[in-house]
Amino acid sequence: MNPLELTLGIMTAVGGFVDISELVFAAKAGSTFGYALIWVFALSTGGIMVFGEMSGRVAAVAKQPVFNLMRHRLGLKLGLVTLAASLVANLITCAAEVGGVALILRYLTGLPYPLMAVVGTAVLMASMWVLPFKWIERIYGLLGLFMIAFIAALVAIKAPWGQIAGGFVPQIPHGLSTKELLVFGYFAVAIVSAVMFPYEAYFYSSGGIEEEWGPKDLPMNKITCTVGFGLGSLLSIAILASSAQLFTPANVDPQLLGSSALEVAIPFGWIGLLIALLGMLFAISGAAIETCMANAYGISQFFGWEWGRHRKPWQAPRFTVTWIVLFLAALGIILTGVDPMQLVEYAVLFSILVLPLTYLPLLLLAGDKSYMKEHANGRFGKTLGWFYFALITVAAIGALPLYFLTSGGQG
Amino acid sequence: MRKLLLILFALCGACSKGPQADLPSIGEARTLGAEWALINEQAAEQKLTASYVATMRSSIRQQLQTTARSLTQPNSPYGAEIQALLQQPDDAPPQQLRGHVTRLKQIEDSLESA
Repeated sequence: MNPLELTLGIMTAVGGFVDISELVFAAKAGSTFGYALIWVFALSTGGIMVFGEMSGRVAAVAKQPVFNLMRHRLGLKLGLVTLAASLVANLITCAAEVGGVALILRYLTGLPYPLMAVVGTAVLMASMWVLPFKWIERIYGLLGLFMIAFIAALVAIKAPWGQIAGGFVPQIPHGLSTKELLVFGYFAVAIVSAVMFPYEAYFYSSGGIEEEWGPKDLPMNKITCTVGFGLGSLLSIAILASSAQLFTPANVDPQLLGSSALEVAIPFGWIGLLIALLGMLFAISGAAIETCMANAYGISQFFGWEWGRHRKPWQAPRFTVTWIVLFLAALGIILTGVDPMQLVEYAVLFSILVLPLTYLPLLLLAGDKSYMKEHANGRFGKTLGWFYFALITVAAIGALPLYFLTSGGQG
Repeated sequence: MRKLLLILFALCGACSKGPQADLPSIGEARTLGAEWALINEQAAEQKLTASYVATMRSSIRQQLQTTARSLTQPNSPYGAEIQALLQQPDDAPPQQLRGHVTRLKQIEDSLESA
């Protein structure tokens, strides 16, 4: 295991962990319920660690990306349904991320939003065309480390560390009305969905195949997933805690993406604001690319086309056309004038519905000794896997009723 | 059974009209006003960039207009309060904006307890 590669892998996972949904829901959760939802972030981070590690392991040992598994494990019909649902969920997520990129470029430059959407998408597409897979992942992941400013801001505002630590204990705040309880439930489901987005597994496992992982890479896979995702989750928790500390007393329940950047601007001024906006820009840009590629990977793998960014764009023409069309579709959605914050709500909702279908075939294959041999899930891995599968299934069942009962978390 | 009734009641509430149906919009307008006040406060302390401030103010105003349009009872005390908030200039003093926020909060609380 090369220590430099390992460090870079961990740093990339940290910088690439946060996306627009986590930014939005962490800030809203903190302002609405204080530190009481930190444990949901911690719990769902455990879930993405478990399934991320499994998808990397399956890619390294069985050399199977997630959508191949789906077609074989779920059958053609259910596989197609899952593909279509994932396509919609990832496309909405991608459009929300593209909208987020445009909004942040607008905060930075003051130029019109539609123009920034077009410029942002063009830059993302150019970087996807030019850069090999490893560098796409690394550049956006490493530049996303500007987000560490949110942790520095939390330290600077002298956060109540005892209360924050208390937030890691599973709890439901006392004295909530039925309506507030439903909103709490909605936020919990939204956080599970935002942290465990299905595109992350598609992208991560396909990336493992792009980089030709083998069994020797399994320790790195495990460390990247646990340490990288764990540290990345601390960024979301810092956003939540700063929001509780700064926004709750000011009666602010952040409605805009740019509000989160205030958490760094308040202690550090305009330099902090710029660093926060840059961190958000790169983190959301990385997520836009990941969602787009996840969709292109899914379609290509399902239909057995040539795929991958380790090939030149013209060596995998249908894969290339697919990601270009998907990016343009995401841009088209944004140019209709739909609010990216609304898209975030839909993305989270659609994704939680797809999550059980995404993770079930992965869980079955990772435990199958005929494919995985000595690398199959052990008792501990199986228990964790089924626990998280049950959790996302319950969250998926509750998502739609909670969305309607709370008017999308508005109460 | 009681929980089921409460959920059905909440579902019916979501489809209804009047002050209760406007509660989410009142809450949204209240928090937008509070966000606006916070931005103006930080801008006055030179902690924000001009393009950020202009974009945030414009987004808040746009969202407040959407919220005002979505009210089922625009000619209500809260409708008037949201309109008063919209009449404020972009660089309105934070205290003035917080005055509207406080009044919206009072209306919201009284409707919630009704």
